Amino acid sequence: MSSKKSILDNIKQQQIEASTMPKIKLNAVVYEDKIQQFIEMSRAVGGDAILLKEGEDINQVIKNLFPKALTIGSNIPKITCATFNPDQVDSPHKLNGTDLAIIKGEWGVAENAAVWIPQNVVHKALYFIAEELVIILDSKHILNNMHEAYQKISFENAGFGIFISGPSKTADIEQALVIGAHGARGVNVILY
Amino acid sequence: MKIGLFIPCYVNAIYPQVGVSTYKLLESLGLDVDYPLDQTCCGQPMANAGFESKADKLAESFDNMFAPYDYVVGPSASCVGFIKDNHPSILAKKGHQCQTSDKIYDICEFLHDIIKIDSLKSEFKHKVSIHNSCHGVRELKLSAASELNIPYYSKILNLLKLVEGIEIFQPQKIDECCGFGGMFAMEEQAVSTSMGEDKVKNHMATGANYITAPDSSCLMHMQGVIDRQKLPIQTIHVIEILSAGL
Amino acid sequence: MNAKHTKAAERFLENKDHAAWHNQTLWFVREKRDKVVKNVDEWEELRELANQIKAHTISDLAKYLEEFADNAKKNGIIVHWAKDAQEHNEIILGILQKHKAKKLAKSKSMLTEECHLNPFLIKNGIDVIETDLGERILQLMDQPPSHIVMPAIHLKRQEVGVLFEEKLGTETGNSDPTYLTRAARAHLRNEFLSADVGMTGVNFAVASTGDIVVCTNEGNADMGTSLPKVQISTMGIEKVIPDHESLAVFLRLLARSATGQPITSYVSHFRKPAPGNEINLVIVDNGRSDIVGNKSHVKTLYCIRCAACMNTCPVYRRTGGYSYEYFIPGPIGINLGMLKSPKKYHGDLAACSLCMSCNNVCPVKIDLGQQIYRWRQELDGLGLANASKEKLSAALNAVFVRPSLFYNAIKVGKMLKYIPRPFIYNGLNDWGKGREIPTFAKESFNTLWKKGEIKKNKKL
Repeated sequence: MSSKKSILDNIKQQQIEASTMPKIKLNAVVYEDKIQQFIEMSRAVGGDAILLKEGEDINQVIKNLFPKALTIGSNIPKITCATFNPDQVDSPHKLNGTDLAIIKGEWGVAENAAVWIPQNVVHKALYFIAEELVIILDSKHILNNMHEAYQKISFENAGFGIFISGPSKTADIEQALVIGAHGARGVNVILY
Repeated sequence: MKIGLFIPCYVNAIYPQVGVSTYKLLESLGLDVDYPLDQTCCGQPMANAGFESKADKLAESFDNMFAPYDYVVGPSASCVGFIKDNHPSILAKKGHQCQTSDKIYDICEFLHDIIKIDSLKSEFKHKVSIHNSCHGVRELKLSAASELNIPYYSKILNLLKLVEGIEIFQPQKIDECCGFGGMFAMEEQAVSTSMGEDKVKNHMATGANYITAPDSSCLMHMQGVIDRQKLPIQTIHVIEILSAGL
Repeated sequence: MNAKHTKAAERFLENKDHAAWHNQTLWFVREKRDKVVKNVDEWEELRELANQIKAHTISDLAKYLEEFADNAKKNGIIVHWAKDAQEHNEIILGILQKHKAKKLAKSKSMLTEECHLNPFLIKNGIDVIETDLGERILQLMDQPPSHIVMPAIHLKRQEVGVLFEEKLGTETGNSDPTYLTRAARAHLRNEFLSADVGMTGVNFAVASTGDIVVCTNEGNADMGTSLPKVQISTMGIEKVIPDHESLAVFLRLLARSATGQPITSYVSHFRKPAPGNEINLVIVDNGRSDIVGNKSHVKTLYCIRCAACMNTCPVYRRTGGYSYEYFIPGPIGINLGMLKSPKKYHGDLAACSLCMSCNNVCPVKIDLGQQIYRWRQELDGLGLANASKEKLSAALNAVFVRPSLFYNAIKVGKMLKYIPRPFIYNGLNDWGKGREIPTFAKESFNTLWKKGEIKKNKKL
């Protein structure tokens, strides 16, 4: 007998009280100003978020934020400040040493500053291996909470999707918070 | 309304004045209180140590003794909580339907929820730090447990506020265990003592002269620490404060 | 009464400063949790929902597991099933050997700890690299985790500094956490880049989509699975949940309960392998399917491993993870250990004052304290009851069932006559090590009542 069958058979043999699936309906948190909440939360989780002003050039904003970044990867056509297209690299290992990656987010969540990113680059390593990460997000795509988020997200074609909330961090040494464990040391969300 | 006064074994033996205060206060409210003679133990020490089988006879005689009363009231949140939560299943194993678990109250709970007292004649001109006993908070829900996101309330605080001249404080780690836990206090003596010492320290840090609780067992434990270290703070049961001056 | 936990706790508490620091450090996590929890008005509703979703899923576990496995397979994930630890380890070694892998970059998984995977792989020539900072520190020290979320929480920064000095060549005497973390980042970046296979645990397995969901703060699970072509994820059968709607509930609870964060930095959903890559998933039983029908303890399968019960436990905080015999400490560990082997792990049952704080922090509302109480009752039937506690309980019972005996006994000093002699010396001695023993009143309440003293005082 296969292990699968023996495990499932053993479960089926147990006397288990029936229990119905609850209706997931609750008055979950909503915010008067979702954008403001998202920005505040982004700071609280160790990252940052800014709302692009009318007429502001996103490339200039990024350059001002990261004047020292030399290798800037992005596959977004309008990001002209990028120095290379990470999709044209043949192995994710070659992305090591990227100073800054600029990617697109799909949905933002105000309650926790998480941004949903269905894989939209060839090598998902880009999201983690770059020293700094900029996520560009439509400010009309900010939702209140995770319940709303899961109503919206889909990634049928992507194969991988991720919520990123702030930079990589750890508190494994004495509970002292250190930003920048393995992934990006900084996450800036630019809302437009 | 006929009230059966439940005086747990260790209160009976070590803190009879707590029983006396309970009786006096209930009497002063014009209530019909009776003390069924020769009560002993509810069985909690043995059951918590893993021997409900050494507690079932006690549960049965307790239930028989108090069945005739409309209410059973006792000055010990932990014992009351044990009877409420565990006597039904212990007795069910003996084919005995528990009759007291639905009508037993801790004295503070009883005064607050059933009698709903809104004034007291007592006076206690001291600084008092409230000790929320674990079973008082988490079984009898005498106050909002600090872990939960529910509106804050404290029945003990409400009652103590009725006392003239009292200054009330609450310690850091407001409902952390004092480390008594019955046989736990002996079996895990090092942990239990450390918990007791920390708890007394937190109470002392409020500047209070007294630690008060709805449970003499926690107080007994902390008093053990206080006496050993000769600390400048005393313990007193809530009911003794509520009945002060009667 | 000398459970191993008791002895280990005494040793842990001998170093008062360190014990106080440990207590306070974990309390700090509890406080962070309280703070964020109080910002979520619907918190208690969420906990209740989570409890009901888990109850439902476990009640129909076979169906959900099949649905999940079928969907994962459809998505191109290679699904393996393991009855026990040995099969789990062999499957993983098989995958590594198939790919001629030498180096495995691993992110944190308590399941692999449970299965003793690392020593097995190392014995078979695999270079296993733990990539979670805490886990890596412990691996370099050859120690097991002492906490399931913050595995190296028992260590002081100086100890990590000395370790890194020796192993990673960091500066002498520098124990700044940021400096040490940076050094680990650089060291592990090279390991990630040279790993042949990346391995993760699983936080949630979504039945309706086949998604494998992994939560980390460091991003190590993602680094580890984004560079090599082969991924292995391993999960216990209880990790399956129905759908994304349920996932939203659990994600709102998990990080808030665990570390006081609104969500972990990364929540990865692995659905399909990238072209040319491979995702292997191992679904492990290792005793879990027997718990499904265990009415008294089935709720342990609801656990989402947030460790809030450890952080709030006054005993865990004061005794550290190594004082427990089972590899998972604290309230959930006591219960899981008993389910694994009562004979081996019943000593951990001593480590509980039944304060019940764990029940209240548990995001899925497991009745942890009541389960410990019930296990204590079950020990007698298992032939594992502590003889001296049993004797004492029997003696107390014998006195209490005869009121005349009890009231006679409590007249000064005589109570001791009825207590077993070893207990008087050991038990009272144990109480007396740190506390004075209370003295009996001259007259009991019962006596006063009989004499009419109490009613006499009544002001009419």
